[in-house]
Amino acid sequence: MSTVVVGHGMAAVALVERLVQHGVPDVVVLGEERGAPYNRILLSAVLEGTHRPEAIALRGTSWFREHGIDLRLGTTAVAVHRDEHAVELADGSRVPYDRLVLATGSIPELPPIRGLVDADGRLDDRVHAFRTLADCERLLATLPGAASAIVVGGGLLGLQVARALSIRGLRTELVEVGEHVLRHQVDGQAGAILARSLQKLGTAVYTGVRATRLTPTGLRLDNGYELDADLVVLTAGSRPRTTLARQAGLETRRGIVVDDSLTTSDPDILAVGDCAEHESRTPGLVSPAWEQARVAGDLLAGCPARYSGHRTVARLRATDLDVAVLGDPEKALGEVVQVSNPVTGTHKKLVVDRGVIVAATLVGDLSRVGYITQAFDRGTVLGPAEPGALLMAPRPATPAPLPDDAEVCACAGVSAGRIRACSSIDEVRESTRATTGCGGCLSTCQNLLSPLVKGMTS
Amino acid sequence: MTDTHCPYCSLQCGMTLARQGRRLEVQARAFPVNEGALCRKGWTATGLRGSRERLTTPLVRDRATDEWRAVGWDEALDLVAGRLAALRAEHGPDANAVFGGGGLTNEKAYQLGKLARVALGTRMIDYNGRWCMSSAASANNQAFGVDRGLPFPLADVEQADVVVLVGSNLAETMPPAARHLDRLRERGGKVVVIDPRRTSTADRADLFVQPVPGTDLPLALGLLHLVDAAGAVDEEYVADRTVGFEDARQAAASWWPERVERVTGVSVHQLRELAALMTSSRRVMVLTARGAEQHADGTATVLAWVNLTLALGLPGRPFAGYGCLTGQGNGQGGREHGQKADQLPGYRSIDDPAARAHVAAVWGVDADDLPGKGLSAYELLMALGTDGGPRSLLVLGSNVVVSAPNASRVTERLASLDLLVVADIVMSETAALADVVLPVTQWAEETGTMTNLEGRVILRQQAVTPPEGVRSDLDLITGLAERLGAPSTWSTDPEEVFEELRRASAGGKADYSGIDYARIRAEDGVFWPCPATEGAPHPGTPRLFAHTFLHADGLARFVAVQHEGPAEPVDGEYPVHLTTGRVLAQYQSGAQTRRIKDLPDTGAFVELHPLLALRIGAHDGDPVSVRTRRGVMRAPARVVETIRPDTVFVPFHWVGANRLTSDALDPSSRMPEFKVCAAEVTT
Repeated sequence: MSTVVVGHGMAAVALVERLVQHGVPDVVVLGEERGAPYNRILLSAVLEGTHRPEAIALRGTSWFREHGIDLRLGTTAVAVHRDEHAVELADGSRVPYDRLVLATGSIPELPPIRGLVDADGRLDDRVHAFRTLADCERLLATLPGAASAIVVGGGLLGLQVARALSIRGLRTELVEVGEHVLRHQVDGQAGAILARSLQKLGTAVYTGVRATRLTPTGLRLDNGYELDADLVVLTAGSRPRTTLARQAGLETRRGIVVDDSLTTSDPDILAVGDCAEHESRTPGLVSPAWEQARVAGDLLAGCPARYSGHRTVARLRATDLDVAVLGDPEKALGEVVQVSNPVTGTHKKLVVDRGVIVAATLVGDLSRVGYITQAFDRGTVLGPAEPGALLMAPRPATPAPLPDDAEVCACAGVSAGRIRACSSIDEVRESTRATTGCGGCLSTCQNLLSPLVKGMTS
Repeated sequence: MTDTHCPYCSLQCGMTLARQGRRLEVQARAFPVNEGALCRKGWTATGLRGSRERLTTPLVRDRATDEWRAVGWDEALDLVAGRLAALRAEHGPDANAVFGGGGLTNEKAYQLGKLARVALGTRMIDYNGRWCMSSAASANNQAFGVDRGLPFPLADVEQADVVVLVGSNLAETMPPAARHLDRLRERGGKVVVIDPRRTSTADRADLFVQPVPGTDLPLALGLLHLVDAAGAVDEEYVADRTVGFEDARQAAASWWPERVERVTGVSVHQLRELAALMTSSRRVMVLTARGAEQHADGTATVLAWVNLTLALGLPGRPFAGYGCLTGQGNGQGGREHGQKADQLPGYRSIDDPAARAHVAAVWGVDADDLPGKGLSAYELLMALGTDGGPRSLLVLGSNVVVSAPNASRVTERLASLDLLVVADIVMSETAALADVVLPVTQWAEETGTMTNLEGRVILRQQAVTPPEGVRSDLDLITGLAERLGAPSTWSTDPEEVFEELRRASAGGKADYSGIDYARIRAEDGVFWPCPATEGAPHPGTPRLFAHTFLHADGLARFVAVQHEGPAEPVDGEYPVHLTTGRVLAQYQSGAQTRRIKDLPDTGAFVELHPLLALRIGAHDGDPVSVRTRRGVMRAPARVVETIRPDTVFVPFHWVGANRLTSDALDPSSRMPEFKVCAAEVTT
């Protein structure tokens, strides 16, 4: 019983790990990129310089070998012959399968800008996509000769790339066709606050404008302005890669349609990750992709499992830009509790349905993100006052004078009153044994003694 | 005036006992671990002397009337030995089981293991240390080839640049240890505390990290990820002194900071701050304690932290590395000399033919007659009275009714026994269920060695005469061995037993053969390994790993680990995490400390955050109920800002907490998951 996986991105690797865990034999992985699998979502961190490129490598080729996985890199699948149960490769050869898993991922969408590609369909030298490690390396290689950049697209990736380029020392501008940045995730208020933060960090943001043409010096916008730049990076979204599935006659809409068992319209073919569409959703995030991979791996190993959707948390990975989006705060149904403060650059919004946080936006203040994410992920039922309390800044502690019955030295069990009754730190030590344990109360004890006494003993 | 050590925790603080008329007074004594400091438990340690609750005569319970009858020692021992022999004759040697403790001296632990293997012929022996540091022990053995809690003296902490405490509240559980942290900070060093509660230890920290209970493992993976991302791996060290790095690196590759944040509840910002602190400092120490270890993935959790230290090239570097802060007084020594189900003296494996031959020769028995590996502590208790399981249990130095996880079931198992024998100084909750209770000597009434958290063998010396009617554990063991007609010799003199222990441990990993009572007295204790030598005495080994690790090839092992998460995740019905721990004024099951009038006995309480209190309508001081799948308890609420809002804390010194705790076991150490389970809190 052979299992063939098309793709070797993050979903595919997670799936193969699961198959290895279950001891499923006879697994073939067809990977289009030449290098070993890597963590795609950290590419912007590599661009920014917080991650060295080697550190984003996932499983090395030796791992596949050690676990008996037939990993074929640089292999492009061009067709699926369902009647023959075989995948056709670019070189015309065929790989037979009993079960096929499509993990073909997504491809960047090219915005309709004239002049991006030449007559051969090649991107202009100044224009960069940002989807693969090769894209990232190509961009990094051009940085030394570049002083300025335009990022097209104000989504999560666009903001990350813009921050990264800015940190690398490039004058960076960002163009977003929507009315505000992160328009798929957050509301206008949050978008505006975020744009201001980005501008404060040195990146100009233009919203509500469309880039129409690549010019010899930069980009022309549909409002007539022209931006100059040495580089243009395209991050204007991506779409599930469905060509293979569609040509094989599988049901596809935006993505490859799958049911709760990640199975396509052909019972012998599954799809996981960015290419799959489950209940009309194609989240394009890694955690649902991994959950799908886990479920698919279990099912292929003959263990019962079911994919019932996934809570998503989108986090912006860019230094000094703090954004977390939990679920879909613009579509989720519920009561909205929010605190927006443009002065401090913070915008916090919880969507609460019967006490459960079903979505949230946190911009500029992530001090509570750890706890809010836990409550969101676990569906914790909160009390009525909690959502509001969670959005308030913690109160600064006000030091009050210690009452006489307050315990000062836990090690010896000594109250403030007993310390105050002493005339010196030596007496404290001898008569109460305070300060003789962990020693943590020494300064408190000194402060409790009268100033005169302190002066004499210190 | 008698120089000795505190009866409680693994610091084994030095102290002097002085007679003041009829009173026995505790006085400060210079000793490197505590330098004269003591906590209130130490200062009041003599408080059980003369207590009316002290047992001074063997007691036999009549099962029909449930009444106790005082008997003489001979009658009690005859009765017990007779029943043990009969059970063995009828059901085989494994019908009798033995349960020891991490508070027993090395001599007792050694002799108890020998009693089980030689006199009873049973493989059924284990001890409560399994619930203490067994996960760290397992991880240490896997990574370094040896299990010594700290591979350096505790005072080395003062010379570090950064100390990361993972799941340790040492300022409350071993207060004098906190002085070393203060010195470190005076020198400009930094202290990091990782705990779901902002404890008094955390109040001394420069960086406090508050993860979801049960997520220390992904936290460590996230740190290793950042170390690798920053190119801060000590490549030369990794190449020269370790194996297995690439697998460990790959396991951490998918733990980027935002993912770690989602799972652990620790913000990316803090995670990066901690990683930067660790990568920018040279002398970094990571010290784990029960918070990290008492989990169903406790061994893997410790390994994840060890991997991090290895990647940074720390173990073996002066004033740096990984260490475990052992909990019980003789947690270290207690696991080295044979009361663990899989071990023989000298930290030898009971499965190793050479180890069996060596120990059998010391005991003067045939190696083939030694039984094999038995069940781990909780599994042993669960087997009691079951089909084919043990039908008797002899308990020394443990109060399992309070300290075992899922304690209600443990109590049921004890009740199903044909014979329960408990040796204790007071009528503990476990003794109260026994058929025979044997009154034994306590600390200060007997002599013996302990091995503290540093691997330092120290000597507790007898300071007073025991009350009439009590006998030492060694007496009791000898009394039973002789009545059972056991081969070998059975001394009741601690120093003689130690001499035999030295020979039994010779050549083992925990080699004590070069240590004797005179050296311990003269040298403030001696660190193992300390083999006997022909010429100049071996100096002992305060610091391990400077040049080599203790695997055969001298290299340390990275062991790649994955995050699985707690065995019992929270859900709609049980929506909060329950974690347990200690308070300053009490120790373990409280059998001793709750009977000392100068120590406050507050009773159990339930610590919870104001947000959670608001949700369930709880008020500070009013009772709340905590319910898990195993039990329910009710205790006053303590509403504090210092705990995570999704977590409640209950101290385990009183009956109750462990009726709630989970009995999911670590696959390698067999440690129960005391530190996290799913609970519901209501008013």
